[in-house]
Amino acid sequence: MSSHRPLATVQRMLEKWGVLVAFALLFIVSTAKQGTDFVSPENFRTMLNSNAAVGVLAVGMTLVIVSAGIDLSVGSIVVLAAALGTTAMNALVGAGWSEGSAVLLGAGCTVLAGLAAGAINGSLVVFGRIAPFIATLGGLAAYRSMALAIADAGEIRSQSPTLFAKLGRGGIPLAWESGSVDGQTVYTGLLNAGGKPLTLTYSIIIFFAVAIAAQWLLSMSRFGRHLIAVGANETAARYAGLAVGWVRFRAYALMGLLAGLAGLMQSSRMNSVSTSGLGVGNELDAIAAVVIGGTSLRGGFGRVWGTVVGVLILGMITNILTISNVSPYWQGAVKGAVIVLAVLVQRGSRE
Amino acid sequence: MVLPPRSISDAPPESRGIPRVLLAADAVVVDYPGVRALDRVSAEFRAGEIHAIVGENGAGKSTLMKVLSGSVRPTAGAVRVAGAARTFNAPSEAIRAGIAMVHQELNLVPTLDVAENVCLGRESVGAFGLRVDRRRQRARATELLAMLGSSLDPTRAAGDLSVAEAQFVEIAKCLASDAQVLIFDEPTAVLGEHEAERLLSLLGRLRDEGRAIVFISHHLDEVVAIADRVTVLRDGALVQSFARDHVAGHGAPLRDALGAAVDEARIANAMVGRELGSIYPPKGAAVSEELAIELVGFGAVGRSRGISLAVRPGEIVGVAGLVGSGRTETAEAMVGLRRREGVLRVGGREVSFPGAREALRAGVAYVSEDRKGRGLHVSLPSVANMTLPSLERHVRAGGLSVDGASERAVTARWIEAFSIRCARPDLPISSLSGGNQQKFALARWIEAAPRVLVIDEPTRGVDVGAKGEIYRIVADLAAKGLACIVISSELPELIGLAHRVVVMRNGRLAGELSREKLARRDCEERIVRIASGLPEQEEGAAA
Repeated sequence: MSSHRPLATVQRMLEKWGVLVAFALLFIVSTAKQGTDFVSPENFRTMLNSNAAVGVLAVGMTLVIVSAGIDLSVGSIVVLAAALGTTAMNALVGAGWSEGSAVLLGAGCTVLAGLAAGAINGSLVVFGRIAPFIATLGGLAAYRSMALAIADAGEIRSQSPTLFAKLGRGGIPLAWESGSVDGQTVYTGLLNAGGKPLTLTYSIIIFFAVAIAAQWLLSMSRFGRHLIAVGANETAARYAGLAVGWVRFRAYALMGLLAGLAGLMQSSRMNSVSTSGLGVGNELDAIAAVVIGGTSLRGGFGRVWGTVVGVLILGMITNILTISNVSPYWQGAVKGAVIVLAVLVQRGSRE
Repeated sequence: MVLPPRSISDAPPESRGIPRVLLAADAVVVDYPGVRALDRVSAEFRAGEIHAIVGENGAGKSTLMKVLSGSVRPTAGAVRVAGAARTFNAPSEAIRAGIAMVHQELNLVPTLDVAENVCLGRESVGAFGLRVDRRRQRARATELLAMLGSSLDPTRAAGDLSVAEAQFVEIAKCLASDAQVLIFDEPTAVLGEHEAERLLSLLGRLRDEGRAIVFISHHLDEVVAIADRVTVLRDGALVQSFARDHVAGHGAPLRDALGAAVDEARIANAMVGRELGSIYPPKGAAVSEELAIELVGFGAVGRSRGISLAVRPGEIVGVAGLVGSGRTETAEAMVGLRRREGVLRVGGREVSFPGAREALRAGVAYVSEDRKGRGLHVSLPSVANMTLPSLERHVRAGGLSVDGASERAVTARWIEAFSIRCARPDLPISSLSGGNQQKFALARWIEAAPRVLVIDEPTRGVDVGAKGEIYRIVADLAAKGLACIVISSELPELIGLAHRVVVMRNGRLAGELSREKLARRDCEERIVRIASGLPEQEEGAAA
């Protein structure tokens, strides 16, 4: 129903830009409440860094959801891929390979393991004709269980002395030396609380690179057009001559690849893999970010930039609750309320 | 319930004078993004009158109904109820003002029974409002249905009702809300002939009780038969109105402003805005003796079999048959959308298509009968719909980038070529009228340059003017060497358009009418006989 009222106009604007409004409001409230504790380059860096892996998952999830699918198994793919990759890396280090090639191969193994798990999901959905919810629910249980079995539910510590951890924590310094005063080095640029240069971690760079690539893929590429067409109406897509199964398969495979990448980002940051803890609940955070970002769960419409803002909103909520010393147990309640609110504001936009 | 005032209809005709205006649209304007759906339309709806609104698809009939029934607010102008301007924010407010709409798609709750549906929203409740008084509701529903001349059991579940029965329940629901103005959106479209007659006589009765009836119909014979006033819309504007003489009563003919009697043809011309000549273009000849497509013992597994048919370039072959005779399924099997049996040759080579993509690559395209569900992506922009089958032509860098400018250029070209009314191709295609959507559905496949085009129900849900244009498009394509197979349930369309017509029955080819036979007057009857399995008449007897 289209009608022309001021209220309806406001609602349409909210449907479209609500996620940015929410982001701005949250930002203002956080700034007002916490001041420089919140508005500091270091806090922003930390916030981005700790949400980058879930961000990569959420970006992939956006594509899957646009195709009218869902992937509940991403958190489990994260841990399985990380467990396999780290185990492989440790084996290579133990076999006397150079640290560099061991880390490189281990990292490759992690990402490929994710791709393989995603391909299995895609096959079940496309060739097995199992509903995505059910197929990936199976994956949620199975992939985690495999990871637990590998390490007997314990931790897999990285045997790489320095490089692996560097991959997780290193990055590009955002400040440079500009001289020295009284024997102390002086830096120009963004510094942390200790006066040392802040690093833009590889995780953050990967998150934004993945997001930009995915937004391009969705709105500019043939694959993106096909995803939208399949998600909007699979039958019509088939009648238009699209290879519907192949399109959907690629969405899940790409999701798996990104989950492997997220696994690498998290395991290298921790320099170890906790098979019972890593990636738990990641699928829900990812789906939540997608929903907050305004992508329709019905498929056929989506926007990656909205998802990125959704990830930042979720991260900001956690951040502000942590800074304000609210018990972490309350975070779930706040997040839940935000998700429901997001859906309320955005519903009815794409009937 | 407050019974409608009887005085108007009880009084002798000569004392009636001009009946009271119950509802009026006053210079109503409705703007949708990129298009003006209604342009300063004024109309009055009087007590004791049936007022028909006619126009082609996209002329603005539905929008006017939505304005009157409160689901769309006009951009400018006003709706007046009994003379006072009213602003409705929702249909429920219009209902409270005595204006009810009987929708084309009936809105009953299937799991509730008839009485519960009739009284929905105005339940009779017992003590303390804690329980619904079912007995009273049933009595009330029975009473209302009886007024409509229906003896429907009020305890039946609404989900089990036939369309005609459900419609009566809808009308009873409107009466329960004491509606003085009843708006019917194509009420006879879903009914059989007999049921339609019954409904029309009911409309007459509701009018005689002093209600104002607003009636939308594509069937001009019905309009001429029962309407007291006819408003013709075209392109969102009121182009003409006709009325019956009040003093002469309901049997008198409709007349225009100059007093000339008005018939169906006159109304049709007003709708289209020009004289409707023959809407079928002249038939050309096949341009080549080679076969463009050939079916030998072909069939869609489980749906049709043993079909042998060959179509030459430039030839239009019509496929007739009852719904369920396997026409659509056979066509779908031809382009790989269903499992097939038998032999299919395209351009002399035997082929097997796993999907529509491969079929298109070999030059065979299929335009689905189900435009909303299969033929188009209604939620996507016109541009995206236009280029979807031929997206390959607009990609660069191995598919990493789709050239938006070239997509828009192609879309603009077809908008021009097919005179598609589409101001904003970047908006969802659902914003276009059925005829314009259908032109896009055709254009997208023609853009992919097929050699064989299978068109299923080319003019379903398309208005008269656009029909003629689509026939011309198909005839032009054939003249340029395209082999066309046209499946249709509208026999005049097949007879007017096709070089020959094959008839399907129960999944098999049951007969064929050559060009000579199609030129004879009895061809329509012949097709019907073949399609329904009656013995064909002797050649001599038919002549």
